[in-house]
Amino acid sequence: MAQTRREFLKTSVAASAAATVGLPISQTAEAAAKETEAGMQWDKAVCRFCGVGCGIMVATKDGRIVATKGDPDAPVNRGLNCIKGYFNGKIQYGKDRLTQPLMRMKDGKYAKDGKFQPVTWDQAFDEMEKQFKKTYKEMGPHGVAIFGSGQYTIPEGYTSAKLMKAGFRSNNIDPNARHCMASAVVGFIQTFGIDEPSGNYDDIEHTDTVVTWGANMAECHPILWARVSDRKLSDEENVKLVNLTTCSNQTSDIADEEIIFKPGTDLAIFNYIAREIVKRDAVDHDFVNKHCVFATGPYDIGYGMRGTSKYAFDAEKDTQAKELKVTLDKYEAIAQRKKEGQVVEQNNRKKPVKHWQISFDEFKRGVEPYTLDFVAELSKGDTDESLASHKKKLQALADLYIDDKRKMVSFWTMGMNQHYRGSWVNEQAYMLHLLLGKQAMPGNGAFSLTGQPSACGTAREVGTFAHRLPADMVVFNPKHRARAEKIWKLPANTLNPKVGSHITKILRDLEDGSVKWAWVQVNNPFQASANANHWIAGARKPDNFLVVSDPYPTVSAKVADLILPTAMIFEKWGLYGNAERRTQGWRQQVNPPGEAMGDVWQGLEFAKRFKLKEVWGEQKVPGLKSKGYEDGKLPSVLDAAAKMGYSPEDTLYDVLFATADNKKVAWPDPAVAKGHGNHIAEKLGDGWFPEKALFDEYRQFTVNFQHDLADFDTYMRDDVRGLKWPVIDGKETEWRFNEKYDPYVKKGSGFDFYGKALKATPTGNLDKPTSKEKKSLAGKAKIFFRPYAAPPEQPDDNYDLWMSTGRVLEHWHTGTMTRRVPELHRAVPSAQVWLHPDDADKRGLQRNDLVWIESRRGKVKARVETAGRNRPPKGYTFVPFFDESVMINKVALDVTCPMSKEEDFKKCAVKVYKA
Amino acid sequence: MNLSGILIVSTPSAIDTLIDTLNAMPDLEVHHVDRDNSKMIVVQEAESIHDEVAGLKKIKKLPGIVLAEMVYHYFAEDDSLAPESIPDDLDEYTGLRQSVVPPYLNE
Repeated sequence: MAQTRREFLKTSVAASAAATVGLPISQTAEAAAKETEAGMQWDKAVCRFCGVGCGIMVATKDGRIVATKGDPDAPVNRGLNCIKGYFNGKIQYGKDRLTQPLMRMKDGKYAKDGKFQPVTWDQAFDEMEKQFKKTYKEMGPHGVAIFGSGQYTIPEGYTSAKLMKAGFRSNNIDPNARHCMASAVVGFIQTFGIDEPSGNYDDIEHTDTVVTWGANMAECHPILWARVSDRKLSDEENVKLVNLTTCSNQTSDIADEEIIFKPGTDLAIFNYIAREIVKRDAVDHDFVNKHCVFATGPYDIGYGMRGTSKYAFDAEKDTQAKELKVTLDKYEAIAQRKKEGQVVEQNNRKKPVKHWQISFDEFKRGVEPYTLDFVAELSKGDTDESLASHKKKLQALADLYIDDKRKMVSFWTMGMNQHYRGSWVNEQAYMLHLLLGKQAMPGNGAFSLTGQPSACGTAREVGTFAHRLPADMVVFNPKHRARAEKIWKLPANTLNPKVGSHITKILRDLEDGSVKWAWVQVNNPFQASANANHWIAGARKPDNFLVVSDPYPTVSAKVADLILPTAMIFEKWGLYGNAERRTQGWRQQVNPPGEAMGDVWQGLEFAKRFKLKEVWGEQKVPGLKSKGYEDGKLPSVLDAAAKMGYSPEDTLYDVLFATADNKKVAWPDPAVAKGHGNHIAEKLGDGWFPEKALFDEYRQFTVNFQHDLADFDTYMRDDVRGLKWPVIDGKETEWRFNEKYDPYVKKGSGFDFYGKALKATPTGNLDKPTSKEKKSLAGKAKIFFRPYAAPPEQPDDNYDLWMSTGRVLEHWHTGTMTRRVPELHRAVPSAQVWLHPDDADKRGLQRNDLVWIESRRGKVKARVETAGRNRPPKGYTFVPFFDESVMINKVALDVTCPMSKEEDFKKCAVKVYKA
Repeated sequence: MNLSGILIVSTPSAIDTLIDTLNAMPDLEVHHVDRDNSKMIVVQEAESIHDEVAGLKKIKKLPGIVLAEMVYHYFAEDDSLAPESIPDDLDEYTGLRQSVVPPYLNE
């Protein structure tokens, strides 16, 4: 009987799978599928993992998830799912799932050195509130901080950002997305004046050339890679794929060419191609004259490290010293038109983003040193490859870009974003596409891929960054603050103009005592941040209080003082925004286990504990110098609040969240819920639908402001599989800045780079601005010249290998969901260190040997791998970061791009020896 | 029991050999074949999610494979899912509370 049933189930699974991807099936098979699925309730949803944003269908039965399948109607993935797709239905059922608040206790009370014990939610919030108020009173709004996330749903990010910015008047909220794509953001804002890509994933089917720069798409964005592979196979002769990487990987398997380059020299390769474009007069002069200007900025901007060695370990002081002063090597000197050995003080550390317009002739002068001979010698990354072969590949790459019959898509992710000059290298990608007039049209465009499911939708669009407000607005712009205060119904001058701490700085603040209370939401910063030994010690400092909301006991939970058990994706309502501007929503499918609760609820409950009089009085903010705030204080807005009808006794919950307008958005909402529950609305019990009310409130920021979103109900409709913003009159926008597709473009202009940020700059030459007067470049994009700069830490005699961290296909980020079973942390280390076989030989090492990987900052043990999917060149190692038993971030370097503050996880120097 | 429906796209010349190879692998069955497009659906049975992932990785390594991705995932009868994490009646359930502080946290 069991056998029969199993056979029957298999027939049915096969039939459902075939139907999902459009393979013909027999009537018998179809009937089997129908019978098995009887009683299952299917609903659309979105994958929890990377930034691609695949649609999945989730089946529930008797209150649990029983099956998932690719969503055949999802335009992103058309029925497919990658391996990580498997985990969507199961991640919530791990044995270690946290189901009650846990607090460090001794003798029945909270104690920093206590052991974790279960407490009630009331006890948890009581201590959290007490600790918050103590710090807030002592240090003001910037003594507290939130570690946010690119995995927040839109309502979650919105709740936390509003609570911090409008409620606590603090900009100390910054997401882990800082580590994922801040460089991409700076690239967009600097180039276009507005964030996020011009194109969309359909560029893959429209193009005939795909170049990947520092993006192992085959492992990290497998479904998009499946679309690229399909495109390649549909026209194998003509469609060309080139993979530029520092370590041979799976993306090279179907590529026509693989170019292995030395870490950091992508900066030079871009300029080589730009030089070729200029030399061969391949510039699309008409496009460039009408739609672009040229620009550059200072080179001496540091590397985003601390400016003092006070907190550095002795061994890392030599690297840290480069923050203030570097001696130019041979290549840097040529690349920057200076002399080898010249000592350059990093005088523009505080103003790395400043830039000015230059002439085309100055631009040409900038790229002139980047000859094939120079760039090939500098960038060759595989010592076993001949210089002639590397040269040939670079030339072929330039040919592909320049071929005017070819459409061209450049994709990149962490190789370019996690880079000590990440913003520059992002700008350089647009440099090529703009010079060639191959941007913002079907099949043509430089396209930044993302790593998290809502890095775009939440972290960026909602603005959970230390400098941002919703819809690309920024806290240091008085007009933006005024607009936010109006939509949020706040008294004027409630919002704080001082940019808060970015995520790496929050970690440094905890170490040096300038932040003493922090809340970690939807991320795992103590595993995921480079130079982790410092930050773990910081978390455990007696003065600091750290709250971690998490479904599982992560490294961050382990170093916390209070852990809040948290609902996971299908246990709550939510919306994500993917890398192609597509906003997608899902309903709650099942209830969270035990006492676990969604992040929105946690934020709302915490807000209930603050009265206006405790937060909206006068506040000191160290370092605040903005115009009108010369005394370093935020003014009291309590009187103005009273005039608006608020009482000092009102809570932040009443004033910011459960407002009269929001309470009109009622729960239950049968038309939208279709039988699905909402554990948050039900627990609040005051009759409103928080996710919907907050989303529709947030939407006001976007409409008629170049970021238009549809309303909540539209995204929940069964016939909608997400919409790419701006959504105007119910219609999504396929290609932005292009008159044919984008209603925001000025009629008759053809193209209009209408973003408003940084659209007036001084003018000057390659070295400096020569006129302070700001010249408008409205409607235009900037083509930046950026030079090659050397990585601040490189292999030497002692630390003789490059080390890069990254992902592998089966795991995602810190592995807390994909590994699911944290007991594994004690097991044999399972993340490996990939070495070239000759490098292993040289050290007397064999495959599977246990070794130490050591840098100036720390060391970890892992097993050697010399075969398999990653094939590093000699002198190079790769260690994935998913495994908490191989805490490679203790070894990695916390250099950041000085403009974006995104860490460079891809380049540091290590040694490897037998353990 | 975990059952997954996997879409395989192969190079046209490899499809027949692949069908034989796949059918010969334990816990794998080829169900639907679309020769015109070199596509097929195979069903994999596995004890645990880890076995499933390992199985798919094995498939991906076979010669002639262009693409192998999961399409459908059925796990209603997966015994490895912790039953205590989805209790019907929390009030009477004690399993959750017993394991509420993972030992890892207090090490």
